[in-house]
Amino acid sequence: MKILKSIKWRLQIWYGLILVVVLAGFGFTSYQLERGRLFGRIDDELDRRVGVLAKALHRRPPRRLDGSEQPFDRPPPGQFPDAAPAGQNLRPPLELHLPPEDAHFFDTNDANHFYYVINSRDGKVLARTLDVTVGGGIGNDRRVSNGLPSGEWIEVGCSIVPELKALHHIALKLAGVGGIILFFGLTGGWWFVGRALRPVSEISATAVKISAGDLSQRINIAEAESELGQLAAVLNSTFARLETAFAQQKQFASDAAHELRTPVTVILTQTQTALAREREAVSYRQTVEACQRAAQRMRRLIESLLELARFDAGQEVLKRMQFDFAQTISDSAELVRTLADERGVKIISDLAPLEITGDAERLAQVVTNLLTNAIQYNRLGGEVRVKLAAANGLAVLEIADTGQGIAPEELPRVFERFYRADQSRTGAGNAGLGLSICKAIVEAHGGAIEVASEKNAGTTFTVRLAA
Amino acid sequence: MRILIVEDEPDLLASLAQALREEGYAVDTADNGDDGLFNAEGTDYDAIVLDVMLPGRDGWEVLKCLRQTKVTPVLMLTARDQTRDRVKGLDTGADDYVVKPFDLEEVFARLRAIIRRRANQTTNVIELGDVKVDTAARTVSLKHKPVELTAREYALVEFMALHHGEVVTRTQLYEHLFDENDTTMSNLLDVHVSNVRKKLGAEFITTRRGHGYCIE
Repeated sequence: MKILKSIKWRLQIWYGLILVVVLAGFGFTSYQLERGRLFGRIDDELDRRVGVLAKALHRRPPRRLDGSEQPFDRPPPGQFPDAAPAGQNLRPPLELHLPPEDAHFFDTNDANHFYYVINSRDGKVLARTLDVTVGGGIGNDRRVSNGLPSGEWIEVGCSIVPELKALHHIALKLAGVGGIILFFGLTGGWWFVGRALRPVSEISATAVKISAGDLSQRINIAEAESELGQLAAVLNSTFARLETAFAQQKQFASDAAHELRTPVTVILTQTQTALAREREAVSYRQTVEACQRAAQRMRRLIESLLELARFDAGQEVLKRMQFDFAQTISDSAELVRTLADERGVKIISDLAPLEITGDAERLAQVVTNLLTNAIQYNRLGGEVRVKLAAANGLAVLEIADTGQGIAPEELPRVFERFYRADQSRTGAGNAGLGLSICKAIVEAHGGAIEVASEKNAGTTFTVRLAA
Repeated sequence: MRILIVEDEPDLLASLAQALREEGYAVDTADNGDDGLFNAEGTDYDAIVLDVMLPGRDGWEVLKCLRQTKVTPVLMLTARDQTRDRVKGLDTGADDYVVKPFDLEEVFARLRAIIRRRANQTTNVIELGDVKVDTAARTVSLKHKPVELTAREYALVEFMALHHGEVVTRTQLYEHLFDENDTTMSNLLDVHVSNVRKKLGAEFITTRRGHGYCIE
């Protein structure tokens, strides 16, 4: 059933059921209490009447010799049925002499129509009210009977029709009030559940738009305090991160495509020009060389991109071994010596022997890359200072150049992919990925890489690795 | 037709320049924005091929500065083909753009188109009496018969045809037919003019003494 799958409906159904149970319990208890109270009162009345009757029963004194009777108040006519046949009962029968002041207890005008029956020991009716069936049907009257020590039974009863009517009335009232409470409860509950769940529908509406591709959508958070508000806030920040990640990915792809466009253009124009007419061998050779340069540029770019992609995906497996970082650095410095000599740059090393654990090959790549940058972006005849020292249990490598420096506003961006602080260094296969790769390698080692720069004084890259 | 190419990738610059020279254009080159702007402001080029990503001033800036003084047709080379880049280019004053990687044929066609447009010509074929100049096929015909012209002669005819009705000075002709690498002797122009007159009729090009040449 679809309704049972809706949280709103399920909540409503549970809520309604609980409300019904509580109301029914409350109503039943109230009804029972009221019933007990009414019947208790009736029982008290009946007991009182039994007492009154018991007091009013007297044994007829023995007949005097003159045959006269003791003066007695005449009981109301008909209230004295025939006594037991003479001889059967030696004792004189009891007689009821209800004092007039107590007569109101059995007033037939009373709504409850109290009545009584007094039976002798052998079941004969000694006295009774005229009408003992006022109540009518079974269950419509209530009786109390009490045996006297002398063996007589006094039974007092009354009609409880007025009480039953009152109880019926109370039951209707309770049902009515219960119904109204249930109605308001359910309506209020529906409204409240709807209100509480509104953020959920907003969240899902936003999520639908986002899954349709519009990543700029955010959930409109009205109540930041509630749990759903907090959830919405968490989701919003997740969406924001997703959007940023997507934008970066898009930028990355677009930059990568852009970087590939230029070498492809070179190959196309070179070959189209070469093929436009017959040429001399040397001309073809130049074309092939240009194409080779373009292809190598593309190969370097693709390798860099794949490398970054492997680091991004966490697929790059680093070798873990202990090695002398100082040795790695001086090897790298040797590697870039030719380039340094070409530009007249002097490399000054201050390396303390330091054993670290990591991927020697990868870290050598970082050092070579930083050294190459330090030489290329240096002024002619400048200096590159390389310093390795241990500090606070970390291996700290500093590579400082004496180049023109990087502007402060560009500094935070140098590790961004495809970012080139100096646009004039384009071409020559420098796609602006080198520092991104350095950062990825150092961070995969759990280390950190930083850059500091002063305009016209030089730039310093600092790599910190666990020793 | 004299063209300036501003492009920082040396292999691309070389092949573009060679291809355009072989198409009969006089070609100057610059490999950065500053030099490009300097050249573009100093010479009346028939068109400029301008890369967007340049060291120094980038293509947008070169274009913006150039538009303050010159209306030279500019064809932008861009590596980004997003709409906003194209819109930015056209809004800044570029006449057209080509997205890298491109085919040379497309660059040629777009260059012809922006040059033609600047000369208020709507088609590739210019008819001047009995002479028909087809700037797309780079052919000239006289009374429906094709006429053989050298590349320089054709360039001279094409330039004069695009400016027919105007007096074209010798300086203008020098500027538009020869690039900065040509070390032309001044009488070479007279040789070309006289050759064209021989092939297309003496009255095709009239001489305005003291001013220059004109095609009526």
